[in-house]
Amino acid sequence: MASAPRPSRQTARQLTADHEGFLRHRNFRWLKHAGALCVVAILAYTLIDVSPRPNGGTWLGYTLGTVGLVLIVWLSLLGVRKRTMTRGAWSLKAWTSAHVYLGLALIVIATLHTGFEFGWNVHTLGYALMLLVIASGLFGVVVYSVLPAALSNNREQMTQPQMVEALSAVDRQLQSAAQPLDPHWAGQVLAALGEGAFAGGLWSRLAGGKHGSATQQAIAAFDLASTEEAADPALVRVEALLQRRAAQLARMRRHMRLKALLEVWLYVHVPATFALIAALTAHVISVFYYW
Amino acid sequence: MIFRLRTVETTAQGREIVRDRDVTAERITLGRSADNTLHLPDLALDPYHAAITASGGRIAIEALGSPDFTLDGRQVSEGTIDPQAGGELRFGSYRIAVSEAEDAAVLLTIGQIAEASGTSEEKSGFSLAGRMPGKRAMSWLLALAILAAFLVLPIVSQMARDPAAKQGVLGDAAWSSGPLSQAHHQLEGKCEACHVKPFEAVRDTACLTCHKDVHEHAAPTRLANARGPDGLGDRLQWQIAHLFGKPGPGACSDCHSEHQGAGRMPPPQQAFCADCHGSLKDRLPDTALGNAADFGKVHPEFRPALALTAGSDRLTRVSLAEHPREANGLTFTHDQHLDPRGGVAQMALRLGMGSGGLGCAACHHPTADGVRFLPIDMERDCEGCHSLAYDKVGGTFRRLKHGDTDQMIADLSVAPRASSPIVTGRRRPGDYANGGTYFARFTPPGGGIGSVAQALSRDGICGECHTPRLAGGRFSVVPVTQTTRYFNHGWFNHAAHKEEKCTSCHAADRSNLATDLLLPDLKSCRSCHLGEEAPRAKVPSTCAMCHDYHLKPLAPRGVEPRRKR
Repeated sequence: MASAPRPSRQTARQLTADHEGFLRHRNFRWLKHAGALCVVAILAYTLIDVSPRPNGGTWLGYTLGTVGLVLIVWLSLLGVRKRTMTRGAWSLKAWTSAHVYLGLALIVIATLHTGFEFGWNVHTLGYALMLLVIASGLFGVVVYSVLPAALSNNREQMTQPQMVEALSAVDRQLQSAAQPLDPHWAGQVLAALGEGAFAGGLWSRLAGGKHGSATQQAIAAFDLASTEEAADPALVRVEALLQRRAAQLARMRRHMRLKALLEVWLYVHVPATFALIAALTAHVISVFYYW
Repeated sequence: MIFRLRTVETTAQGREIVRDRDVTAERITLGRSADNTLHLPDLALDPYHAAITASGGRIAIEALGSPDFTLDGRQVSEGTIDPQAGGELRFGSYRIAVSEAEDAAVLLTIGQIAEASGTSEEKSGFSLAGRMPGKRAMSWLLALAILAAFLVLPIVSQMARDPAAKQGVLGDAAWSSGPLSQAHHQLEGKCEACHVKPFEAVRDTACLTCHKDVHEHAAPTRLANARGPDGLGDRLQWQIAHLFGKPGPGACSDCHSEHQGAGRMPPPQQAFCADCHGSLKDRLPDTALGNAADFGKVHPEFRPALALTAGSDRLTRVSLAEHPREANGLTFTHDQHLDPRGGVAQMALRLGMGSGGLGCAACHHPTADGVRFLPIDMERDCEGCHSLAYDKVGGTFRRLKHGDTDQMIADLSVAPRASSPIVTGRRRPGDYANGGTYFARFTPPGGGIGSVAQALSRDGICGECHTPRLAGGRFSVVPVTQTTRYFNHGWFNHAAHKEEKCTSCHAADRSNLATDLLLPDLKSCRSCHLGEEAPRAKVPSTCAMCHDYHLKPLAPRGVEPRRKR
């Protein structure tokens, strides 16, 4: 009796491990845990009648607040935890998965803690900062799951130093190819060479670089060359090199745009977390100070 | 095909030495081995690393072994270059620029590059790190700014302030969890008025600073005994609350929660009362109060305070369930006055008070606030019909003085026996007039109001409304007791019920005895009012709608100051 060939346990486990990101970790284990936490909190909020009205000052409010505080402190510890990668039940992946889903559950917990009472005070400041942290984290989760494929496609197997090197290679060829050109054309080439890939601040990075760059302008100028000039093989060669330079610059700028999108949320997420912890400290101490 | 191999070397002085070597071949090889066409002594390369083939105007480069090379910055294992456009190859540390020479030879310019061309800078250039303020710096800056503004400033200001100089605390407005109620609005921004000591929950003493004469609900010992049995959850809650220094149970703040938003402080829920009063009899057997937990379900019958003995000032509380009779001293009947077809109605019609009999409002006048009714005033409310005039001098009527029996007796003793009715000043018409054919005396045989004995008899002028009595040989009437407020521990507002007819609660039109107590009973009120959460209640009614914890004679907390329309 022939038994059907099937992958060994080891292989199956490896396959799962290889294909399971932190969002799907253990078949959405932490999504379920966080969902259950939210359901319990919502049920408690709707079914338990606290007086005079639900807010942070009732026993249920204090309970939800304590849960929220513990969650926030634990969530912020990912910054420490991520510096050590481990495997297994308490792997960094499990931790990250829990970080994402428990962080989202915090929206429910903290909102119920407020009892939908908001004002211009340190308490609502903490809540707003928490929402900012969660929103930026959500942005991070989305770009992490969407953009790496685009980043990889755009790179076309090139590494970052190779991209820089490729641009330098084109530049060196431009340098030598443009030697026979007269000063007018040489000036255009020089201006194009002056345009680096890394210029531009945050917004220009997120916008994917400037339009009408020096290289593009040089190409436009070469396109306007007269018929006699266009017959010059040196000119044709330089224009082809300028086209290559523009293409390479565009690739690098797409790369930087995607990288900027992948990185920029952390510039909100991390400082807002610190601000949140500070506001939370003020929130808790002030409540007991004016007890 | 000619390959021109051009090597460029730089001397120590910086002078470039260019050497050209022409090779005529279709295919040249390059690598670390010396027998290659192009010998590149670099350990990173294979002995025979790659081959360059020129065919059909294009130059093809292919790696011979597994290692690859770089074409225009890209790692490849094979590639082609259009010599007119040119290209750059890189093998290990050697860079070969491919282009076309003037004589159509393939020009390979070979140069060696120094390693470590600042790769770290190239790497970091792609990252945002250099373009943004550091995450760490931003984090600390934000955190410290928030701590300074929202924690350090108020605490330092609170500790440094001089309480005697009534200095405020800076920055503590950001700590307020919500606006204060209407009554405490003036305390907005003066947190230290109630939050006297840091880390100490607001004590009753803070409240009593202003609320000096607030009435205790009951003696503290009785209160303590009356307090309802706590469940496990309640006991745990109190333990935790005491752990954090909360006062209570029984503290002001247990019922009166502040910072719940501007406007009136919401009235306490009925559970606050029901906790003790729902089963009060079990814990305070000597209490006179019945158990009350919910107006619709558990509430004793009303016990109005009324006079049980005619002529006595003493008011006694009797349950309506016992159908008490009120000894107010009057012989007045309501149904007679309210009958739309009776004599009273006829008289009202003739006096221009409209048809359909007297309304309640003809005699009963509300107080200025509309809550209750003024006591009946004889001169204002009765005398329009029940005239006390007994003589006429010129155009002036002499009338008996109401409320003063001795004066009345004195007046009547010397009153003329009038021969004609002087009750009205009007003449009868035609032949019925004085001196006419059919004129007749319409006065009783005694004439006028008659003698004192007549007046004070059951059928006399006084006996119309009063109960005459003869005490100690003197005629008088039983003093009248008018109760304006039957429920001194409950609140009832007539103005709030003005949509209702009087008779829907007070069965006055069917009352033919002066001693009828016309108060509605519990059942009658329950036709509209049920407990706080009764689903079919027209008016969900908490305890605080009628009762006040602090037993003040005014409207309790649960009463809306003005009904919204």
